[in-house]
Amino acid sequence: MDNIIVVENLSKTYGKDIVAVNEISFQVQKGEIFGFLGPNGAGKSTTIKILTTLLEKSSGKATIDGLDIDADQSKVRRIIGYCSQEVGVDDDLTARENLMLQCRFHHIPKDKALNKINELLQKVRLTEAADRRLKTFSGGMRKRLDLASSLVSDPEVLFLDEPTTGLDPQSRQDVWGYVKQLNKQGMTIFLTTQYMEEADRLADRLCIVDQGKIVAEGKPNELKAKVGADKITLWFKAGDIEACEKAVKALSNLQGVDEVGKCVEGFTTEEGLVIMAKNGSAVVTQVVRALDEAGIDLEQLKLTAPSLDEVFLKLTGKTLNVIERKEAVRRGRRGMRS
Amino acid sequence: MEMASEIFAIFRRWNTKLLRQPIFLFFSLIQPLVWFLLFTQAFSSIGNIPIPGTIPTPGAESALEFYTGAKSYITFFTAAVIIQTIASSALQAGIGLVNDLDSGFMDKMRVAPISKSAILFGKLFSDAISTIIQVAIILLIGLALGVNIASGILGVLMIMAIAATFGIAWSGISLFVALTTKSSQTTLSVGLLTTFPLLFLSASVMPIQLLPSWVQQVAKVNPFTYIAQAFQNLIIKGFVWDSIGYAFIAILIIGIISLGASILVFRKKIS
Repeated sequence: MDNIIVVENLSKTYGKDIVAVNEISFQVQKGEIFGFLGPNGAGKSTTIKILTTLLEKSSGKATIDGLDIDADQSKVRRIIGYCSQEVGVDDDLTARENLMLQCRFHHIPKDKALNKINELLQKVRLTEAADRRLKTFSGGMRKRLDLASSLVSDPEVLFLDEPTTGLDPQSRQDVWGYVKQLNKQGMTIFLTTQYMEEADRLADRLCIVDQGKIVAEGKPNELKAKVGADKITLWFKAGDIEACEKAVKALSNLQGVDEVGKCVEGFTTEEGLVIMAKNGSAVVTQVVRALDEAGIDLEQLKLTAPSLDEVFLKLTGKTLNVIERKEAVRRGRRGMRS
Repeated sequence: MEMASEIFAIFRRWNTKLLRQPIFLFFSLIQPLVWFLLFTQAFSSIGNIPIPGTIPTPGAESALEFYTGAKSYITFFTAAVIIQTIASSALQAGIGLVNDLDSGFMDKMRVAPISKSAILFGKLFSDAISTIIQVAIILLIGLALGVNIASGILGVLMIMAIAATFGIAWSGISLFVALTTKSSQTTLSVGLLTTFPLLFLSASVMPIQLLPSWVQQVAKVNPFTYIAQAFQNLIIKGFVWDSIGYAFIAILIIGIISLGASILVFRKKIS
């Protein structure tokens, strides 16, 4: 496979000591969805802005389809599409007018532009709202239009900066659908995200970034295999810290358990007690037996396969996104899942 | 050729935005009206002041008429209303850019294969259209209040040409502030803080000969003076080519500096 984006030792520093992007190198292959996963401030937007010629790099080299992002800046702009985090559409104009404007920016002849606009409006399901001003649009509709407007020139590479941040679940699903569809038609897609679920669902390959550095790179499954541990989460009766402490003691030396977490304040309601084990499904029965023998009342138990979130936690010592974690816990509590 | 179509696309965008804000037309009507009424009522006796030290006034009824040819203060003051209106709307030109920077639309334009100057000039030309509309409104109000335009319809066109080009050049200052500070508040305050002092320290509200001597010195290097005198002559006397020439020289100098600086700032990649 050919590499369409090649980045070598790319850095961006602000002032003397703020390093936003620190000597990163990676390649994106033609036709793949490549993800940049990391928390706020990891350098994701900075990287995407450098690659889309919006921001000057401090050092290093980057090419898109063999074109240097500095020397061949105007040629690069002809082959890329970009959706910023802020959703770059004009609220005073209608959806159709917004797309027409983008067509004019790309010097697309009028009759061709009209066809293209109809096609794009249909694609993002905005045909009916086409002649309404954006002031009346929902967040999801605006994002869909934004996506359409970056497609008028049929770009070879599409850059999406946090495409679903702030969107409702339905709109998020929509955006994921479009991204997959575009990719199927051969478009290379570079996206940044702070949602591990998004990276997991969309990206063929991804980089995990933290504090301006790439901490891991690979296919989602490879990365998850690297962590190689299932997670067992235990919940005890509300406020029963004693039960938790006893459980930690009982499970610490259990065969097959790699790591036992700590009983922290509020553990019973939100986080629970976390146990890591290589072969979770085999260990889980022993865990239950050990707790039973020690006379500890267990309220709930959940077994989870490794997620990118855990990969991230393991590599950086931080969680990716607190809100999403809580949602995941709530979903998981409905029943025991593997 | 490509650049012309880019400028045109952006020009049309701003025109559409302008037309969808009916509040704009309302204010462009109200503001000059307020100025006309307040100043011409409060200062109308300026038209009766005799030339200092000479009684009676030789060949003219007042100092105002002696120095400028204007029979009434309102005729003289029309130029000031035009300048005030151009300057205050020109100094808001940057606000639109700050909004684009905030909304992410600017990034969308900067990623597109279009020239940076097109982004600025499309906006400036659209602003020039609204300046011309505003000037037309002011002149109509003036006519209704008894102002006679000595240079006729051609003079009106010349006033509009000066107004539009001065508006474009003066907008450059606002664009520069907007692109450097990225703050609409700063952009707006720079506009408010410069317009009034410059207006009163020029020959716009008072004939230059009647100003205190230090103000005269300031007025002589104040571009508003030259624009004002060109307008005053076109309204009061007719075509006085000297004053029109000075006005365009002032516009050219301001324009080269302000627009040059804006384009330079804009061309640098910003985040």
